[in-house]
Amino acid sequence: MKNVEFIFPEYTNIYGESYNMEYLRRCSPEISIVETHPGDVPLFARGEADMVYMGCMTEEKQEKAIELLIPYRDQLIDAIQKGVIFLVTGNALEIFGTSIEGDEVMSDEKIHIRGLSIFDYKSVRHMKDMRHNSQYIGNFDGMILLGHRSQYSFCYGDFDNYFIDIFKGIGMNPDTKREGVHVRNFFATYSLGPCFIMNPHFLKYILRLLGLDDDIPFEKEAMEAYEYRLNELRRTL
Amino acid sequence: MIRFYIALWAAKLFQVFYNLKGFPKTDRPGLLACKICPDFLERIAKPKLVITVTGTDGKTTSSTLLNNFLRSQGLQTSFNDWGANMMAGYAVNLMRGVNIFNHSRIDASILEADELSLDTYMPRIKPDYIFVTNICKDSLRRNGHPENIFNHIEHTFRLLGERTKGVINASDPISCELNRDGRNVYFAMGDTKTDPFPNISKDIAICPRCGGKIIYDYRHYRHIGKFHCESCGFRNPEADVYADAVDLKNRKMTVNGHEYPLISDTVFNAFNVLSIVAMLTELGYRDDTIAEFLGGQRVTNIREDSVEYNGIEYIAFAAKSQNVSAASVVFEYMAKEPSDKDVVLLMDEVQDKNHPTETLTWLYETDYEFLNSPNIRKIIVGGHMYLNHKLRMLLAGIPREKIAAVEDEADIPQNVDREGITKVYVLFETDCVTKAKNMRDAIVRYAKEGK
Repeated sequence: MKNVEFIFPEYTNIYGESYNMEYLRRCSPEISIVETHPGDVPLFARGEADMVYMGCMTEEKQEKAIELLIPYRDQLIDAIQKGVIFLVTGNALEIFGTSIEGDEVMSDEKIHIRGLSIFDYKSVRHMKDMRHNSQYIGNFDGMILLGHRSQYSFCYGDFDNYFIDIFKGIGMNPDTKREGVHVRNFFATYSLGPCFIMNPHFLKYILRLLGLDDDIPFEKEAMEAYEYRLNELRRTL
Repeated sequence: MIRFYIALWAAKLFQVFYNLKGFPKTDRPGLLACKICPDFLERIAKPKLVITVTGTDGKTTSSTLLNNFLRSQGLQTSFNDWGANMMAGYAVNLMRGVNIFNHSRIDASILEADELSLDTYMPRIKPDYIFVTNICKDSLRRNGHPENIFNHIEHTFRLLGERTKGVINASDPISCELNRDGRNVYFAMGDTKTDPFPNISKDIAICPRCGGKIIYDYRHYRHIGKFHCESCGFRNPEADVYADAVDLKNRKMTVNGHEYPLISDTVFNAFNVLSIVAMLTELGYRDDTIAEFLGGQRVTNIREDSVEYNGIEYIAFAAKSQNVSAASVVFEYMAKEPSDKDVVLLMDEVQDKNHPTETLTWLYETDYEFLNSPNIRKIIVGGHMYLNHKLRMLLAGIPREKIAAVEDEADIPQNVDREGITKVYVLFETDCVTKAKNMRDAIVRYAKEGK
């Protein structure tokens, strides 16, 4: 069995991102999705995770997630170094940076939240501005990836270890074409989607990394939808 | 002050112009007024009663009922009933209530208000009441998540302070936390025994106070119901206005010992009626007056409109695309409403086709699984999202042979059954009323022509 750890599903219960886990679960009877709830010792900390998934969450929950994961920071780094597969989507990637700064709705004071400092970037929230929505087309390892972003915050840093090279749309902030983080088998992206639904080729890639057969449910329909969307975005972006 | 009067007179002049051109329901005069005078909303005279109606779902129905009632009682009101629920819409609404000398000439203003911008505009208007229908999952693109909406509404209450009273849904674990330190009237509903289906994605997953598990004694729909947290004791606030017996089938409910008619057989519309009863009771109206008024009300035909041909009822039915909660509630209604039916999904936002920010996310929070019901014979979907809807339906377990997905919406009518069903529902995004009725009429025409 392949243990896929779903970190804090009750925190990451927004934007349909949890469907990444549902779709992955249906790909193989060899996949076991293990939910880690707040207060549990994470599976990765026990060296029992083949893959770790964390989806986007509300701003308040980001702070709680950092608080809960800080005691396991060393084990997180160790798991990344050992090549455990990670998929981190939406603003969950911000908690792996050095800090989250910016404004909030209820107060005029600026916030500053320490991140896990696993990667060297910071994020800045603009909660009082309009939400940023856009889509992109990008390249990873010869694969064309599609993404939808809908967010109040952006990340700032050098992004030497970026995941996706964007050729239509923006990256981690409006001034870069570098999107996400890729270190060994750690993949993080602001993209919503759900990511696996939007990118069936990437789902197949992850299944192969897990050492599994790469057939996916309703593959024909998923690929048709992907191709249609790719063509549509090429025309409209 | 001179700038304000120039803005007021210019806006009134433009309003006359638009009235003459046959477009009385436009917010452009309000836009002009706010451009000339940025503090127009502060300066314009308000009537003695200003009620703001906000919340994720039900604000149009609730504010319409409220306005209709006040008018039925002989009050002069202004109401932004054309969907302009932000700055310019408020400006036109309030402008209609004053004369050219900025003297109020009406009794009340009803402001249907967007939640996200509430804390920007309501402190300028200073309403007497803010009436919150509920807070649910809504459009990601604009509103983000329910916590964000909660924060904007709560911020509004804090900025307004004691002067503004809340009318709050005590059955909603999200919005019942609003204005806790202020003055509130709470409404709630006893067990309707609606036995709602479980949702794949919850509007609130954990206790907003302690992060513990929320336990329901019963739910009415989605997260609305009787609840408590097993860790900290968080539970429904005590209701001032309480519906203890709700009979959806016979369209009536008992509130604080008095019987009121309902405007439809759906639980979400029962909540709309309950919220109105709470508001009007607070304003001092008698229960029999309210009940008599409600007896003559129905769901607006903008939301639900039907024609019949050859034994089949063809219904255009609002569902709100990208609004996860509203779409899921309508899908559940499709499954529970017992007739054998075809369902046409016309739920892509108009702007999406030419706007590269359209999202799939809502499809994976919306309960397409509910459409996998024996009484739903076929689901027909068209438009540029057709392949995405098709994949979602297949993943929801809907048999392939029940799905007709076509790229061109013009091909929808020929895919609709003409026998073996008694109803055809055209579910539409609320911005597309005309498009939905045109589609419904095209389906009927196709059936009449016997193609």
